[in-house]
Amino acid sequence: MTVFKFSLKRSFSNKTNLLLLTLFPIAFIFFPEGEYWPVLPYGYQYFGIVLLFISIRLTTIILVDRAKGVVKRLAVAPISYGSYLCQNLLAFSVILVMQCAIVVYGGVLLGVELYQPHWLMLLYVSFSFTSLAIALAWISIFRSKESAFLIYMSLVTLLAILGGLLMPLQIFPEALIRIAVLFPTYWLNQGMSWIASEGSVGDFILINGVLWLYTIIFMILGSTRKIH
Amino acid sequence: MTIASMRGVVKRYGSYVALDSIDLDIHAGEIIGLLGPNGAGKTTLIGTLTGMRPFDHGTVELFGQSKHPFSHENKEKIGLVTQEITIFEELTAKENLQFFAGVYGLKGEVRKQKVREVLEFVGLSDQANKLPTKFSGGMKRRLNIACALTHSPSFLIMDEPTVGIDPQSRNYILEGVKRLRDRGTTILYTTHYIEEIEAIASRVIIMDQGQIIKEGTPADLIQTIQHEEKVSFEVTDPERIPEGSLEKIAGVRRVLTAGNDITVISDAGSGNLDRMLSIIKEHTGVLGIQTERPNLEDVFFTLTGRQLRDKGEEQ
Repeated sequence: MTVFKFSLKRSFSNKTNLLLLTLFPIAFIFFPEGEYWPVLPYGYQYFGIVLLFISIRLTTIILVDRAKGVVKRLAVAPISYGSYLCQNLLAFSVILVMQCAIVVYGGVLLGVELYQPHWLMLLYVSFSFTSLAIALAWISIFRSKESAFLIYMSLVTLLAILGGLLMPLQIFPEALIRIAVLFPTYWLNQGMSWIASEGSVGDFILINGVLWLYTIIFMILGSTRKIH
Repeated sequence: MTIASMRGVVKRYGSYVALDSIDLDIHAGEIIGLLGPNGAGKTTLIGTLTGMRPFDHGTVELFGQSKHPFSHENKEKIGLVTQEITIFEELTAKENLQFFAGVYGLKGEVRKQKVREVLEFVGLSDQANKLPTKFSGGMKRRLNIACALTHSPSFLIMDEPTVGIDPQSRNYILEGVKRLRDRGTTILYTTHYIEEIEAIASRVIIMDQGQIIKEGTPADLIQTIQHEEKVSFEVTDPERIPEGSLEKIAGVRRVLTAGNDITVISDAGSGNLDRMLSIIKEHTGVLGIQTERPNLEDVFFTLTGRQLRDKGEEQ
């Protein structure tokens, strides 16, 4: 588990990352509630966007390793690329899941109205993995972390708007709402609506299932690029 | 004992042939200097030899295994010093070594001990807890080498390990390579700095355009192109040497006089220096002697018609 251990260490190695991975999510607990929208307080509505950004921040470790030739060096070592990738992703997952727990249960401790916090935690965990898979697929097509991050910011903004995380979907034309179904952020938004409305468990499983389907697809896309 | 061998290895990138029927044997305890200009196929050869790059044709055998040459068992015996500096900038020198030692399965006290040893070997013990961002280019290169040594490989591949560093660091690295050889490590060393190869290699392989065009000991290679020897004498009074006395010596082709300098050109291997010297000393005083011999650069130029380095690459 060397790669896992050092991946955690590298993730917290600079001040920006340290702030981003610890204090930044805590701040979201204190965001106010909206009057009519969103169904959860703003911090929880936007937390999905945070997960998307943190995922790319974490996975750039893999991009840097590839660009600098570390992956090439590891290809000669007695460790498979799959093992290297899995250990890195496991470390990133641990960080993301801990953030989800801090935000959800921190909110519970502070008395924030989260309706069904355990289900919310489950939803955030599912979306964390989806974010990680999207970020992995995204970095697999870039050689420079700067360009990968800059273009990703635009993509995330688009995903957040069209998925209904930044503004209510109802204000969009019908055609756009139909297209929104294609975005993982839409399903996160649906999940949060379900938590507030207390729908059937089947619906919640469907929402999480779609998120996991995205996770698998993007994970496959992202893990195919190896050394060159 | 043969550590690695390649037979008829071909590697293509589309229609471009990067490796063209490579036959190569590497024996235990050798330092092989792999010499060639940029694009000769050196890095591709390393890639195929280590299993990083699949090849299109031929066979590769490592440590006597041809069926599964790139097994984890074999990989544990190989160390790779990459051309790029492949270290983690966000981890200290010590942590970098701990990482690579861990990847090779070293744990606990053994790992600590190896990390200490390797830091000392590359002269970075006092920098162990510093980040590489604070290091000079030479120190980074040394750490890059150290990362390949934590598991004590018996076969070390060094791909241009001295690119872009100062002469002191280069000498330090070359001395380190010799010390590794003395410990029994087999080394494949690629570079396009001829003087490095001359300083350390027991055998030289010259590559160009994906092919091995010549191999042998440095002396053997020089011998193949050495057709004449040139000796220059600086004398007190060249007029006093009787005309034609030097030309009569066996093997002498020409004698040129300019000022106080007499240059005698003989057939290669004539072994007539003593005779020349005694004739000159008989008639006049000798102030200095200079011999000119071809080097590996001349070998490369003779074989390929090109210089090893572009002018822009000269340091």
